[in-house]
Amino acid sequence: MGNRAGWLRTMYMRHEGVRAYTLLSPALLVMAAGICAPFVILVTMSFWSQVGFDFDTTFTPVNYLKIFDHPVYLALLERSILISGTCTIITVLLAYPMAYYVAFHVQRHKLMWIILITLPFWTSYLLRVFAWKIILGYNGAINSGLIGLGLIDKPLEFLLYSPTAVVVTLAHASAAFAILPIYVSLEKIDRSLLEAATDLGDGPVARFLRVTLPLSLPGVLAAMLIIFIPTFGDYITPAMLGGPDGMMLANMIQAQFGKVNNWPMGAALAIGMMITVTVFALITMLVVGKATRQIA
Amino acid sequence: MDVLDQMEAVRSQKLSRRAFSTALLAAGVSGISLPLASRKAGAAAADQATFFTWGGFDKPEIFGNYIEKHGEAPNFVTFGGSEEGLTKMRGGYVVDVAHPCNQGIPRWVASGLFQPMDISKLSNWPDIMPELYELEGNIVDGKPYFAPWDWGQTSVTYRTDLFDLQGQEESWGMLWDERYKGRIGVLASAGDAWWCGAIYAGVDFTEIASDAGFAAVADKMRQQRSLIRLYTDDETTLEQALASGEIVAAMTWNSSAVKLKGQGIPVNFANPKEGALTWVCGVMIHKDAPHLDKAHDIVDAMLSVEAGKWLIGIEGYGHSNAKSFDQFDDATLEGLGLSRNPADILSAGKFQVPQSQEFETRMNQEFEQIKAGF
Repeated sequence: MGNRAGWLRTMYMRHEGVRAYTLLSPALLVMAAGICAPFVILVTMSFWSQVGFDFDTTFTPVNYLKIFDHPVYLALLERSILISGTCTIITVLLAYPMAYYVAFHVQRHKLMWIILITLPFWTSYLLRVFAWKIILGYNGAINSGLIGLGLIDKPLEFLLYSPTAVVVTLAHASAAFAILPIYVSLEKIDRSLLEAATDLGDGPVARFLRVTLPLSLPGVLAAMLIIFIPTFGDYITPAMLGGPDGMMLANMIQAQFGKVNNWPMGAALAIGMMITVTVFALITMLVVGKATRQIA
Repeated sequence: MDVLDQMEAVRSQKLSRRAFSTALLAAGVSGISLPLASRKAGAAAADQATFFTWGGFDKPEIFGNYIEKHGEAPNFVTFGGSEEGLTKMRGGYVVDVAHPCNQGIPRWVASGLFQPMDISKLSNWPDIMPELYELEGNIVDGKPYFAPWDWGQTSVTYRTDLFDLQGQEESWGMLWDERYKGRIGVLASAGDAWWCGAIYAGVDFTEIASDAGFAAVADKMRQQRSLIRLYTDDETTLEQALASGEIVAAMTWNSSAVKLKGQGIPVNFANPKEGALTWVCGVMIHKDAPHLDKAHDIVDAMLSVEAGKWLIGIEGYGHSNAKSFDQFDDATLEGLGLSRNPADILSAGKFQVPQSQEFETRMNQEFEQIKAGF
């Protein structure tokens, strides 16, 4: 072994920092090349402007001003918040009982239950979106079922090509993302705490509200963030099922990079969207954090 | 022999030598045959040229000569609209052949992303109708950039049993009919929709970029927004919605009506009194096309009579090869709304006028806002 290699080895073994960065380096490289560099490009581009086929690279905040000038952008932003917010709340409310059941009432084959819960994820997202199109469609499963039962005499049109369709599909698509973190935090709860609560005279409801719920809130928070952040920027579902009133901000961003051919505007919208997501994530964390402390 | 048994045997270290060899053989055979299977299933072949086009043109019937010569169909990549395709290529995406339409030609040529056709490599070129390639901006220094392939119309396909014309003439107004609020579908690409709006608004195509013309069209599109069930780039979605009766009238190309009629659904492809939107689309070769000869083979296959037979007979579009029309009798052509002499159709309809990139951006931007409800 050469002298130089020996020196490197000493460095590596002696300094913890060097060792840590060496071990982290593949991940750091991917982060730098795949996330930081594109992000810098995106920020830079958002301060440019589009002239025909070319970019005018003089610094200008005009794209950001446009976001506030044209009501369409803020309205789409608001709609995105409403749709993914609704979807987040619905998903968490539906997922909690499922996670609760698996955590407390399933004794054997827990792994199988978990696998069954993730089963819908074994097919592609796009296929699931199409499946919902068939279920919610004009001649779809729900409408033909209701007509067959004689409950309605013409198809319900709000089911497809509407914000409802987007919420339903996104909620289904993200169900497992909600169940798993909530399940983990419920599973971690020390059962003796529950016994103690019962011993001290709490009924099942009071016990749930005073012990189980507060201790599972970190899982709920994680679920909310994991659902809100990706659904907020979802593009496929509103494009396929949203109809004119279900269009979200991500569809507008896609159009800017596609047929509208105004990349700087698209970049500015994307940055605006990231800022909004960050703000909402922080608010959620603060509110849930405070709630956890208050209940506890 | 169960796979799980095998796993168990491995774990308990009791796997017999025979079972082990069998497992190895199975793994080997599947390892070898897997690529073969996926190859036949039409996986992207690296050594074939790539054709960048709308969905629905990935049919072997179009590329008969190419497949005969190279053993396989070309690779296909689809776009939602040709403008979206152009933006993607300007972003650095390289294909061999792309599929623009007449009003885009000057801008596509100006983008510097394409090269002129080498017509000596195109055996079918002499049969191509000159009025289809002598288009504005196409021939530079005596060389064409654009080989015309399909031509047709954008008009209204409507359910004859559900849409009541009340004795009126067919018109673009059918897509603005308040009686059918929530039961109308429109193509999401402004490249079609905006121009159809201009026809209905009575804006002359030479005036479409003027402020007055732009405002008049925008006004019409806004008025239509509340009546629309869906905007889509996907013909199939419109066809399915027409077939189920979810919508009663839609802006479509020729082929939708032909396909629906073929399924026995009572539809008609309107001949609006204001005139239909007519267009000629075709192919261009990328300047950095990795398979230049094969790219020309794609173009030549598309210009052949065999491809034309499919395009006219199955899809109901016009073809650029004059000889393709000899495969059909006059009655069939008339039923499809086509003619042996494209000039008849092209001069009767409204032909898009090429515009600047600024106009395209402005139009698309405005239409996106209108679709979003503003």
